[in-house]
Amino acid sequence: MVTTETKAKLPPSTHPFAEIIHRLEAGGAMLPDTPENLMQIIGLYKAYAVPMDFYWRDLLYIAEREFLNPLPFFKYFLPKEYLDLHNHYAGDDADLRIWRGEATAHPELLAYMQHGETFKMPRLFHHLWHDRVNMEFAEMCMRAMLWHRGMGGQFDPYLDSEEYKANADRAIKAYFKGNPLMLGIHQMFPDLFLEQCRQMSYYSNLGLFWEVMAPVFFEMSDLYDEGKISSVPEAMDFLVNGIFAIAGRPIYHHVYIRGECYEIIPKSKGFMWLYEAALPYVEAVFYRTAPFRGTKSYNAQAHQVPAEQKDFHYGILYADVFPVGTAGIPPTLLMQDMIHFLPPYLVEYYQKHCRGESDMLIQLGVSFQRSMFCVTSAVIQALRQALLYPLDDPNPRHLAANRAFFEQQMDRFLRPEARLRDIQRQEYR
Amino acid sequence: MLSMLIGLPILSAVIIGLLSDKITAAQIRQIALVIVSFLGLWTIWLFSQFNPAASGMQFAEFIPWLPIVGLDYSLGVDGLSLPLLGLNALLIWIAVYSTDYSGERPRLYYSLILLTSAGMAGAFIAQNLLLFFLFYELLLIPLYLLIAIWGSSEKQGYASMKFLIYTAVSGILIFVAFLSIALLSSSGSFAYNPQATQGLSQTTQLILLTVVLIGFGIKIPLIPLHTWLPDAYVAASPPIAILLGGVLAKLGTYGLVRFGLGLFPETWTIVAPGLAIIGAITAIYGALAAIAQKDIKRMVAYSSIGHMGYILLGAAAATPLSLLGVVLQMVSHGIILAFLFHLIGVIEAKVGTRDLDVLNGLMNPIRGLPLMSSLLVIGGMASAGIPGLVGFVSEFLILQGSFAAFPIPTLVCITCSGLTAVYFVTLLNRTCFGKLDNATAYYPKVQWPERTPALILAALTLFLGIQPTWLTRWTEPTTDVMATTISDVHKATHISTSSR
Repeated sequence: MVTTETKAKLPPSTHPFAEIIHRLEAGGAMLPDTPENLMQIIGLYKAYAVPMDFYWRDLLYIAEREFLNPLPFFKYFLPKEYLDLHNHYAGDDADLRIWRGEATAHPELLAYMQHGETFKMPRLFHHLWHDRVNMEFAEMCMRAMLWHRGMGGQFDPYLDSEEYKANADRAIKAYFKGNPLMLGIHQMFPDLFLEQCRQMSYYSNLGLFWEVMAPVFFEMSDLYDEGKISSVPEAMDFLVNGIFAIAGRPIYHHVYIRGECYEIIPKSKGFMWLYEAALPYVEAVFYRTAPFRGTKSYNAQAHQVPAEQKDFHYGILYADVFPVGTAGIPPTLLMQDMIHFLPPYLVEYYQKHCRGESDMLIQLGVSFQRSMFCVTSAVIQALRQALLYPLDDPNPRHLAANRAFFEQQMDRFLRPEARLRDIQRQEYR
Repeated sequence: MLSMLIGLPILSAVIIGLLSDKITAAQIRQIALVIVSFLGLWTIWLFSQFNPAASGMQFAEFIPWLPIVGLDYSLGVDGLSLPLLGLNALLIWIAVYSTDYSGERPRLYYSLILLTSAGMAGAFIAQNLLLFFLFYELLLIPLYLLIAIWGSSEKQGYASMKFLIYTAVSGILIFVAFLSIALLSSSGSFAYNPQATQGLSQTTQLILLTVVLIGFGIKIPLIPLHTWLPDAYVAASPPIAILLGGVLAKLGTYGLVRFGLGLFPETWTIVAPGLAIIGAITAIYGALAAIAQKDIKRMVAYSSIGHMGYILLGAAAATPLSLLGVVLQMVSHGIILAFLFHLIGVIEAKVGTRDLDVLNGLMNPIRGLPLMSSLLVIGGMASAGIPGLVGFVSEFLILQGSFAAFPIPTLVCITCSGLTAVYFVTLLNRTCFGKLDNATAYYPKVQWPERTPALILAALTLFLGIQPTWLTRWTEPTTDVMATTISDVHKATHISTSSR
């Protein structure tokens, strides 16, 4: 019905991505609605959610407990307290129960932490053998948010405010209490630990963002298994509804030093999940990230590094999933994490295509790209819903405004390296 | 013992040709594989029985055939032909093993390959000029058909016809030379007898040697008789290109040494400076032409021409070291060229192109062809004469052995060795390195039947590079005797010129 009305009131778009724009206007996603696409994105959400359950816990642990530890050798050794930490959106005592599962760490994650790819051995050996969750991926995402900064919202400007500096200074002095060397350094170079503290605030920001996303993805996977999500638009709608349900979740940064809580960014500041975490995350990680980091950057050689950070387009929506010469956050780290938690139907699917087992990392990387296009579609639809008009609005001027918004969003995918064209084809694997 | 290498493949070719249609291509391949494996084992056994310390013919077989025309079934093997027999057995096995199971007309295909094997082996061990010519001609039709029917290029008809014409002319010239030797020499027979030609006048020897040189020069090929080669190599399917480049070209260089140098040692010393210059020109032309290529198969084909130049230089110098290098170069070049053609065949089969401007990033560990790319690096290094690989040993012996006799052509060839590195670095850099294009990189996996030949050839390239005495031990006594003969003739000529 919506489609008919929209088409009746607006002439067809002349944008190069007109077909996708019409799909968005009809309530669809950038990703075509096919059972194969749905299976891939839901399977990937599940495979992503398990390591994400580790990421958010460890990000919060580092932000709250490790804080300014100058030798953070054990920052990836998540203590039981944080493994048992209750997710606010899962379990019986949830603030808002999104996932019907347990609030503590996911059983598959716990099993993997014990055995890894090898066998059961002390955690230190797993760590040294790099047989563990790649927290480096989560840190790179955090650093992308910190490095780009200035992507809208109030959170980032607050990090430069006097109030934040005072709060951070109090926490820094408390953390290094009785350590004249570090306090002396802080005295001499006041920006040094302050900048570290800003980084820790972004650890907390991303941890709180992913604390929401993990149960969302788990629940979508369960609903799909139960047959309650049967199309890509339904999956996207679940995300849109989730975004609005959670939008007001506070973003804060607390540090626990010798049993005392220091509120560097108090909850009372009213920073909201949608504007201070979700949107900057999508902008920094999905769109921008960073050029390929190497001794000789391929992007630099190809004169592909723009002068302005806002013009960076190396995120997952643009990423070349091949591990050689890849710009952006190395997707191999996440792909390596996800491969351990793929649902059986997705493993079977990958075995049937391309090189089967041998290139499953690449295949799931492409599926991940598809799934993130679905998430981005949800964000675009949520923004449209929040800032503009309903899709079935009877006023043509409102529909034109929606159209202009969609076209503006699609303009970012006109770049040749954008994968939007690729994901329209099922053969892109 | 030697007859087995001729009789079995001919008999098998006939039997395979008569097999029922119900037998599948894969089954016929299995039968052919068993036969060539047996031939390989037989060749290994010959090596085990061969006395490396002896310089003369061994395992001689003699049956009078048509005495009235001087044709005898006379076979024998020495240090010059034994390594080439080994090379023939190896490359025939690889050609059969690496052939696609689903090939069309499998009976004819495998029969022709077996006939080729018989022709090659027969030519290497024939001790009668007419018998050699028969085997030499026997190769013509099977290889023509193998290129024309199973070629992998649009120009396969043109290339195969060009090959046929050039090789036929080569055959005619060789026949004319052999017939003249038989008619003009004191023996009046086609038996291989270096003494028989000594009685001919120097002018006659010079004319006959020139005809022999042109005849085998086409087969090698040398500049300017080479134009059939790039077309034929490129048009042939990879297994056939392996046979063409790996063994057939060696028949030319073998003929040059065996019949040119062997039958006309005195005249050889006269034409040697000219041959050294042609060798250097061939080497530099091959290298420069290879640099200009965009098709990697054609690039390797031109590199092959260049490497033939070294052989001519070494043969012209005819010192013990250079002749030893010549035989080693025949074997090492055969191994390396087969190695490269096989890898290029696999790359073309997977990627669908040989275009240097399109190929990229094949070293990619997940979606590329990392093993084939790594082996291609080894093959390229071997061809460029990097120490520790088989190509280095033979080139070093040739250049070391030739420098005293022909310093300038040798220096030119050393320069060409550097140019070899230029085009192989270009090839490897563009093909293996860089970024794989994820819009096109849906290449199928490389299967074990494709990997095995490459791994065997890589192992040989490495092993013989580190332990070259396993090659030289069979050849050294024979090449020493040949070099001594040339040296004696040279001294005798010098003394007679001085005494006048």
